[in-house]
Amino acid sequence: MRSALARFARNRLALLGAAVLLGLLALVALTPLLFPDDPFRLVGPALQPPGGRFLLGTDTLGRDVAAEIAYGARTSLMIGLGATLAAILFGTLVGGLAGYYRGGVEIALMRLTEFFQTIPAFVLAILIVAILSPSLTSEIVAIAAVSWPGIARLVRGEFVALGGREFVLACDGLGAGDARIIFRHMLPNCASAIIAVGSLLIGTAILIEAGLAFLGLGDPNVMSWGLIISAGRAVLRSAWWICTFPGIAILLTVLGINLVGDGLNEAMNPRLRER
Amino acid sequence: MSRTSHLTDFSRRTVLALPLGLAAASSGASAAEPKRGGTMVMIVHPEPSTLAHYAVSAGNIPPIATQVYEGLCTYDWDLNPRPNLAKSWDVAPDGKTITFTLQEGVTFHNGKPLTSADVQYSFMEILKKYNPVAPVMLAELVAVDTPDPMTAVLRLANPAPYIMKALSGRDLPILCRSVFEGTDVLQNPTANKPIGTGPFKFVSWERGQSVRLDRNENYWKPGLPYLNRIVARFIPDAATRSAAMEAGEAHFAGYSAVNYADLARMKTNPVLDLTTQGYEMTPAQSVLELNGRHPQLQKKPVRQAIAYAIDRNVILRDVMFGYGLPASGPLSRKFKTAGLYTDDVRQYDVPDRLEIANRLLDEAGAPRGAGGIRFALHLEVNSFGEQWLRQAEYLKQALGGVGIDVTLRSEDTATWLRRVYTNYDYDINEPFLSQGVDPVYGLNKQFLTSQIRKGVTFVNDTFYANPEVDRMLGEGARELDPEKRGAIYKKVQQILAEDSPMIWLIDVQYVSVFNRRLKDHTTGPLGTQQAFERAWMDK
Repeated sequence: MRSALARFARNRLALLGAAVLLGLLALVALTPLLFPDDPFRLVGPALQPPGGRFLLGTDTLGRDVAAEIAYGARTSLMIGLGATLAAILFGTLVGGLAGYYRGGVEIALMRLTEFFQTIPAFVLAILIVAILSPSLTSEIVAIAAVSWPGIARLVRGEFVALGGREFVLACDGLGAGDARIIFRHMLPNCASAIIAVGSLLIGTAILIEAGLAFLGLGDPNVMSWGLIISAGRAVLRSAWWICTFPGIAILLTVLGINLVGDGLNEAMNPRLRER
Repeated sequence: MSRTSHLTDFSRRTVLALPLGLAAASSGASAAEPKRGGTMVMIVHPEPSTLAHYAVSAGNIPPIATQVYEGLCTYDWDLNPRPNLAKSWDVAPDGKTITFTLQEGVTFHNGKPLTSADVQYSFMEILKKYNPVAPVMLAELVAVDTPDPMTAVLRLANPAPYIMKALSGRDLPILCRSVFEGTDVLQNPTANKPIGTGPFKFVSWERGQSVRLDRNENYWKPGLPYLNRIVARFIPDAATRSAAMEAGEAHFAGYSAVNYADLARMKTNPVLDLTTQGYEMTPAQSVLELNGRHPQLQKKPVRQAIAYAIDRNVILRDVMFGYGLPASGPLSRKFKTAGLYTDDVRQYDVPDRLEIANRLLDEAGAPRGAGGIRFALHLEVNSFGEQWLRQAEYLKQALGGVGIDVTLRSEDTATWLRRVYTNYDYDINEPFLSQGVDPVYGLNKQFLTSQIRKGVTFVNDTFYANPEVDRMLGEGARELDPEKRGAIYKKVQQILAEDSPMIWLIDVQYVSVFNRRLKDHTTGPLGTQQAFERAWMDK
């Protein structure tokens, strides 16, 4: 792990991504201090350009775009992390069971996984949110529901590969139970792959969330980047700043996450180590 | 043409046929000699799901359907009926019979001549049975007699003065009997290929693209129409609709097909212009419906406090981009012309409205608790577009200011309507209500006790039940004397504004955007919802 960190630290792009993410975390942490008001509050005249009393201007209702972005960052991270964790838990469970027990279990679980993979992710997410009615929880459920199949296939592949290795056979021979073999020996050995892929999932989750909110399927009581953009779209040609700044925020965040994810992947994936 | 408002007592007067052509008075009016020919492209949004205008009431059908179907009357700017398919009429002194004399030489697009049998069939077999507004507007219609081919007599159980407001092709179109007789009206082949008497003939409908209407060479008004063709284009994306107008690809976009947000830009375009005329008979309001069974909302002071807490000018300025007026009560100001609107009601837009709201809530036994919150409500977000979410976001802030914690709930259209109008599982609903051509439509369906109808959308879901209002709305519907009628509706508005079962937000104003080359497009109060028979294109 130490050598992996060292390798990560040598990757300049990954460090850049990490710096962007740290900045984002700092913004989220400082939000209550910087913007003590509710981001939905009407604090000034509508459509003020950036640079005046409001650093990033105001939107069509006279809300502070900077405050909206800060609170939107919290929402994006919450949903990104929440959905990714849920997807990893469920995906690992399904993939692990399939890869460990093989046979009928594997056939059943992997056909289910493939079934989910054949439905376009975003369409399925829209459907789930529409059925559950838009809220933070339903967004997390929807994004997790479209994200887990990739993890499941990855973990199954790893488990199938590990299943025949000597240390696993040895454990089995020494009488270790299934749970012990899975949790003590096999899972730690595919953790790096899960972390690498999972970190990329956060970026995808944030993008899906922004897309849902843009389509009016976000939680209407929670500020999010997609919501700001969707509200500003109507006046895009006369008030560019409303859509532009949250757009940049999404771009930087997803880019940062992808750079870090790639860095982790390179650092922890043995097949890429010597490149 | 005079725009002064006056009350016309049509009940004892016979209007004689005017020589063809009422003077055109509108923003599109021009002194220049009309030029013939040319194609006018109009944007209709959203694309209608059907053209069965006689059986479906949706704002996007009439701009197309009224080019083809005509009514017995048209209306002048003072909203008085003027001859169209009927060249004259006579209302009996008791108000129970209306005798129409039809224009001669009118033929349908299939070559059949118009006779009183068509009028009878249209009213009794089609409109009364299938038109969604018929249960109100034609409730009193008992029969249509046809003493001769050019005379149709409407027989009513009780006087129904409002019928004289609804005789346009938009509201009560006249259809060809032989086309419909013996067929299933809703499945009739002409449902989506309309055959009428209008200035334009239906040619084709390419779904997702456009409807094409060509000049009716045999139109009964000599020399009209001027245009060779009208193409109604459907463009789902708002930015593309605006761009089509700016590029000159389309010449007319009515019924706010161009987003309010883009209107300021359209205004500065030298090729384009805007008008708010042509919607005088299309009153509508955005309102909040309050669930009268909610333990807090069933208290009158709480409902009034909500009315005080909202700054309608913020909604008007930031949500409606300045188009419309702050609503003063249950009727749109568009009823002023007919002498039915009053602003002599309880005023909620007052300088000390927030103090009043807080005091009313304190007195109603809803004191501020932890975090300054008195109680919590859900607001159902109207699913018909972006602007309603903006409005809801503002309302949440405004009500939060007086200690009412509002949670927004946005669901798809079907779920939203079922939750509110079938399950009554709501606190505040945010609809947009069309008020029709007469208060008998808008007020009755919202406030009559008998209109608490589970599962029917956009009727009385506030559980408002006031025997006095029920009685007065019944009287108002039958009263023939305009003065007395105005007095009845004034009282109704005062009671309703005081009881505040709803919060009236904005008197909605639609806007038309047009290319300056297009002339004489808005020649009456029905605007886009009447035929473009006099419209012409300058070269």
